[in-house]
Amino acid sequence: MTPFLTAFFSGTAQGAIYALVSLGLVLVWRSAGVVNFAQMGQAMFTTYIASQLIQNNYSYWSAFLIALISGAALGALVDLGLMRPLTSRKNSQLLNSQSMRTTIPVIASLGILGVLKALAGIFWAGEERGFPSPVAPNAIKIGDTSLAITGFDLFVIGTVFLTLVLTTIFFTKTGMGLAMRASALNPEVTRLSGIKVGSVRTLGWAISGIASSLAGLLVTPRTNLSPNTLDLLLIIGFTAAVVGGLSSLAGSVLGGFILGYVISFVNVYSAPENVFIAILAFLLLALFLRPQGILGSKEVRSV
Amino acid sequence: MSKVKTHKVIGLRSTLLSLVLFLFFILLSNQFEPYNQSQLANIAMLLIAVLSITLLTGASGQISLGQGAIMAVGGYSSALLVTRLGLSMWLAFILAIFVSALFGLFLGLAAARLSGPYLAGTTLVMALAIPSIAVRFETFFSGDVGLSVDYGMPPEWLTKLIGEVSIEEWSLYVVLPFTAVALFAVLNLSNTRIGRTWRAVRDNEVAASLAGINIGRTKVIVFVCASGLAGLAGALYGFRGLVAPSVYPTDLSLTLLTAAVIGGLRSIGGAIFGTFVIVFLPDLIEKVTNNLAIPETVGIYLPALAIGLLLLLTVILNPRGAAGALEHLRHKKKH
Repeated sequence: MTPFLTAFFSGTAQGAIYALVSLGLVLVWRSAGVVNFAQMGQAMFTTYIASQLIQNNYSYWSAFLIALISGAALGALVDLGLMRPLTSRKNSQLLNSQSMRTTIPVIASLGILGVLKALAGIFWAGEERGFPSPVAPNAIKIGDTSLAITGFDLFVIGTVFLTLVLTTIFFTKTGMGLAMRASALNPEVTRLSGIKVGSVRTLGWAISGIASSLAGLLVTPRTNLSPNTLDLLLIIGFTAAVVGGLSSLAGSVLGGFILGYVISFVNVYSAPENVFIAILAFLLLALFLRPQGILGSKEVRSV
Repeated sequence: MSKVKTHKVIGLRSTLLSLVLFLFFILLSNQFEPYNQSQLANIAMLLIAVLSITLLTGASGQISLGQGAIMAVGGYSSALLVTRLGLSMWLAFILAIFVSALFGLFLGLAAARLSGPYLAGTTLVMALAIPSIAVRFETFFSGDVGLSVDYGMPPEWLTKLIGEVSIEEWSLYVVLPFTAVALFAVLNLSNTRIGRTWRAVRDNEVAASLAGINIGRTKVIVFVCASGLAGLAGALYGFRGLVAPSVYPTDLSLTLLTAAVIGGLRSIGGAIFGTFVIVFLPDLIEKVTNNLAIPETVGIYLPALAIGLLLLLTVILNPRGAAGALEHLRHKKKH
């Protein structure tokens, strides 16, 4: 197997997971105007829940399902309990300032991240633990030559592909999905046409919670699970979202795969310790060349 | 509305305030045993970094989740100057300010194009990537092992003057002059024309640019000033013993931001209060957990939990922090 194919296959599998993270970030950004830095903290927490259930002899699939449901619940809870009261307080002096309106939710999400990490440490002790995968991570063989892709990689790619198809159907065919797109485009007009913009927003948080939970379940068999494991995933997902365009769902998925290939090729052709620097360089390059992202549209600032 | 004060009065007031803080720290340290003296020195150096956030976020509305990385720039530049070139520690600290300010210039040029979440994410990536450079170029930066540096021994004239000086006291004496000067600088910056320009950009960019303010240049200047401060803090922080990637983790950046927020992003007194909280709260919690016989596996996460909850509560209930609450009370009394 040539290094190129090795990098390509592992880049596809990694990129699929980054695409989920990036999709989650963009969903919340579009529906609420917040970049949720706690997203992978939420995913870490729900993966711990799944891990606990598996330890208590639940089957992998029931734990999988419960993790996704709790991901949705946690996402909705963050919106209802924190972000909505925060942004609805219009008369607060601090929030009158233009720059603070975007800064305060970022700080709040960092607070959630800190609390979730500490709670996970208290409930499940801090040390790394493994997380099972439903498919054995052995290389697939055709005849005698083993491919650089494992059965687990195929499972990851398949699951993400299915999720993306379902998301696309949701956003193009269902009323709720169309309502979400409408309220991202113009909340005022959407409200006037009788759609409850607030509930639509919470739904965005919930779906984002599911996507990131799924990313957590898919990445931890490889990386193991600890309160800090998923931090890196958030940073990669953020970079992917910026590269693809924070305002575009399709762009976020594209960005995820691009990042997957970048990281995987740096790993194979250069050295793993160059990965962080490569991410930073790639992010800065993207911001300089195309700040709105590959598929994003230019932000128009109203006065 | 507060009256616009003249420069001279501001200069006098800020000089007095800086001196008062200086004396307060010295007096407080005399009451403390060595451990708390070194914690006090930690406060004095971290305060400089928190003040850089007060400038950046409080005064000009830009957010940085990567102040820890800029501290690392200051720490490494001063440690390299001392270990490789044999420069004096004091000169190295001052040069560290310039190196980090230069770094801030590049960062600012990139940041001037970004706002809000973009800036937060980019600086967060930076917080992770910068320390990894030290591992990547191991021969130059000595990798994970890091560079060993310290404040040295107290000079003879000082021991002659005030008697025996412990290592902990000496570290406080090294740091405090820098803290006082940093406080003086920040107090003046935020009350002068340039500070008012920053606030205008923070509150409404369009209005500020219509008033003739060059938005891009203003943001770059803020980043240069804040990075210089953070770099100085990083240099002082590293000279406690070690300059290594593990000394400047991502969590450090977030802790600094927490200190600035719970004290009050727009208040310098708040920055001082917040820094005291982040340094002494973990000690206090440890004492309580020891008394209540809470198992250690739980105890080590309690400070992080408390600080996270404090940050959340501040943002929800009182986004202007402790300083804002105090002002609110004073306001109520008047009416």
